[in-house]
Amino acid sequence: MLFNSVAFLIFLPVVVILYYLIPGRYRWALLLAASYFFYGSWKIEFLSLIVFSTLVDFQVGKWLYKQTNTLYRRILLGASLASNIGLLFIFKYLKLFLPAKDAMIVNIYTVDHPIIGLVAQAVYFSIPVGISFYTFQTLSYTLDIFNKRIEPETHLGKFALFVTFFPQLVAGPIERFSRLMPQLKANHLPVYENFSNAFRLILYGFFVKLCIADNLSPMVDAVYANPSGFGTGSLWFGTFAFGLQIYADFAGYTLIAQGAALCLGIKLMDNFKTPYLSTSIGEFWSRWHISLSTWFRDYVYIPLGGNRVRVGRWVINILLVFVISGFWHGANYTFLIWGGIHGGLYLVERMFKGLVTLPSTRLTRLAGWAFIFAAVHLAWVFFRIEHIDMVGDHFAALFTTTGVQSITLKPELIVMLLVFIVSDVVLYNGRIDHWLGNRPKLLRWSMYGVMLWCITAWAGMANHPFIYFQF
Amino acid sequence: MMALFNVVYKQFVWPNDLDEHASLLTMLHENQHRSDVLYFAESSNFTTHIDDSLKLRISDFIDLYCEEDSIDVRPVEHAGYHVGQYVPVIAQIDPESPVQTVVVTMNLRTFGQDVIYGPNEASLQKATRLAQPGLPLVNRVLTTLNFYDNRSAHERDLLKWKSWIKDSLISDTDSVTFPYPTIRTWCEVPKFPDSSGIENMPYRILADQNIKVYGFHLDESNPMVKSFDQIITIGKEKNLNLIFNILAENVDQADSLLGNNLVWLMRRNRDFLVDRYHNKGAIVVDNLEAVANQHFTDRRVFPTEHYDQTGRSIIAMNVAQAIKELHSKK
Repeated sequence: MLFNSVAFLIFLPVVVILYYLIPGRYRWALLLAASYFFYGSWKIEFLSLIVFSTLVDFQVGKWLYKQTNTLYRRILLGASLASNIGLLFIFKYLKLFLPAKDAMIVNIYTVDHPIIGLVAQAVYFSIPVGISFYTFQTLSYTLDIFNKRIEPETHLGKFALFVTFFPQLVAGPIERFSRLMPQLKANHLPVYENFSNAFRLILYGFFVKLCIADNLSPMVDAVYANPSGFGTGSLWFGTFAFGLQIYADFAGYTLIAQGAALCLGIKLMDNFKTPYLSTSIGEFWSRWHISLSTWFRDYVYIPLGGNRVRVGRWVINILLVFVISGFWHGANYTFLIWGGIHGGLYLVERMFKGLVTLPSTRLTRLAGWAFIFAAVHLAWVFFRIEHIDMVGDHFAALFTTTGVQSITLKPELIVMLLVFIVSDVVLYNGRIDHWLGNRPKLLRWSMYGVMLWCITAWAGMANHPFIYFQF
Repeated sequence: MMALFNVVYKQFVWPNDLDEHASLLTMLHENQHRSDVLYFAESSNFTTHIDDSLKLRISDFIDLYCEEDSIDVRPVEHAGYHVGQYVPVIAQIDPESPVQTVVVTMNLRTFGQDVIYGPNEASLQKATRLAQPGLPLVNRVLTTLNFYDNRSAHERDLLKWKSWIKDSLISDTDSVTFPYPTIRTWCEVPKFPDSSGIENMPYRILADQNIKVYGFHLDESNPMVKSFDQIITIGKEKNLNLIFNILAENVDQADSLLGNNLVWLMRRNRDFLVDRYHNKGAIVVDNLEAVANQHFTDRRVFPTEHYDQTGRSIIAMNVAQAIKELHSKK
């Protein structure tokens, strides 16, 4: 079920009403059933993977907690890692090592052999939605028990809810057990402030996804499909527009997820904080997909030794973390390169800062921002491009294109882009629900009206699913 | 507030949305108040051959043939569309307009799985969603929220292959022995071998394409049949005369490539449509075999309903005849 669907707009209020109607001790069951329904309505067969991951980590967590023998503890942790990463490998990366298959061949095979064919479909064409998110969430649970940061959950149903909580199941934010579980267990009361904040988050989330991302996507798709066909200005615009599209797409999803959870009294972590105003790569990664970058920091970078190692090892650690986080996004070498570019930029930045101390003036900050903005957006080319062979052509076209196609921005899109950019700057380190909630009533309701108009009359109709669903 | 939004939207934004995503409705708005007959069609109406001296559409030819009877015929057309897209547009014909008769092309190929599960079906469904009767703003929101059959091209392709592999080419009521149970078994048969057994691939590919687009048996569960049934209902509600124009297919080529078996299937399906809609009160103009092989412009590439000037004029003549007879009775 997509957030931007009629089904979800019916599903959410029904779940919320039932949630507050039934006694607190049964709410976990309602939310679990709702979450399984939410996921199963897409492809019910892939629920089995979530159940498998849930059962393995629930049991491993219990055994790990009881076990004192270091070797056995490591074996148990290995089992959890192997099962979760194994799932990811089979459904996300295996195709890299298999001969390429034509869709028609796999479809014919699927008709002849439905069960194996289903797996083949998933391996080649449609990875189970959200697999990267829920496997990382359950992995963090096992690792936290292994590191004795938390105690295991003893109730299988409640643990299953932690794994599948529907607002953040398919594209995060990747929550930690210690933060989410107490909220899932708490007996929340319907609070007006939560509902009004949730309304603002969901409304703004829809505006950002439907009006910004979905209106930009046809232009970006056209430019990436045939870069040399476009004139210089349009090509550069289309290339940079992907940065805005993916931000609006993912941030929009996160805002709706936060709003949906808040209707149930549950506060999900922030995932974005105006990342494109960053003046360094380090700052960018503290503002972009925060739940993933902190996951890698806590479960990969620090266990590798973090920065408390020799310089050579630290360089390797940094590159490793960035390359793995790039590869997390998908089975394509372009993601590896994208991660590597960010890792390289981060290293250069840290070394530069160690060698030269620039005064923090408005000019240096502006120069830093412009450089990071350009670098991040040019790196997005590797992220967006379909195949590594096309990267050279795209960059060559940026400087040599003689194409004549052009992008025409409709006036309403220009207005909406301005609204989005200005609001994103205003919300630097803030959040729409709190900011709007503190504005005078007239301004607040005017903004609701403007957003509602944009969503109903000017939203994109590109039928573009959330980009991060494919990860 | 939403009522106000709807008024503003309808006035200032809707026309652009229709132009961009559902231009059939724009065409209806433009043509219905100056036409006696509306001709709903896909690219068969306007595709011409490079050597044609007259580049007239089929609907232009019909208009020409009906001129002496002062019957004005205008097209409502869009490339790649099928009857599913015509239904909501026909439902919105203004009862105050002079339109008395609606002609709808009945393209046999669109009843097959190759079109039903075609890669463009999601975008066609989107156009259909946006063009539905009712409040334009509501349709806009429902389109934005993907409230239509938006299965991916890959999912549809899988369904197509499932049908080609599993579905029988003949129905339970057919009292014949058909040599090929499914599309797949038929396509797997070697074709056009030379003396050393090597197949003539261009012919083979064309033959297999013919099997895939015409190899099916029609019944009332077919989604296109359901759409035509809806048009019958709308026609009765709006008191419109309905003419279903079974477009010419290249039966000569199907016969020469595959013998009588495929032609038998095509004729059986044609008979199903003629009987069904004749009994429901529509006039069915049977052009299936009206155009000879040489008048199909894409005959060497793929089976289509694109004709040269002669082909278009033959079809137009038959449809014009039906219109004239109908209007002379009134």
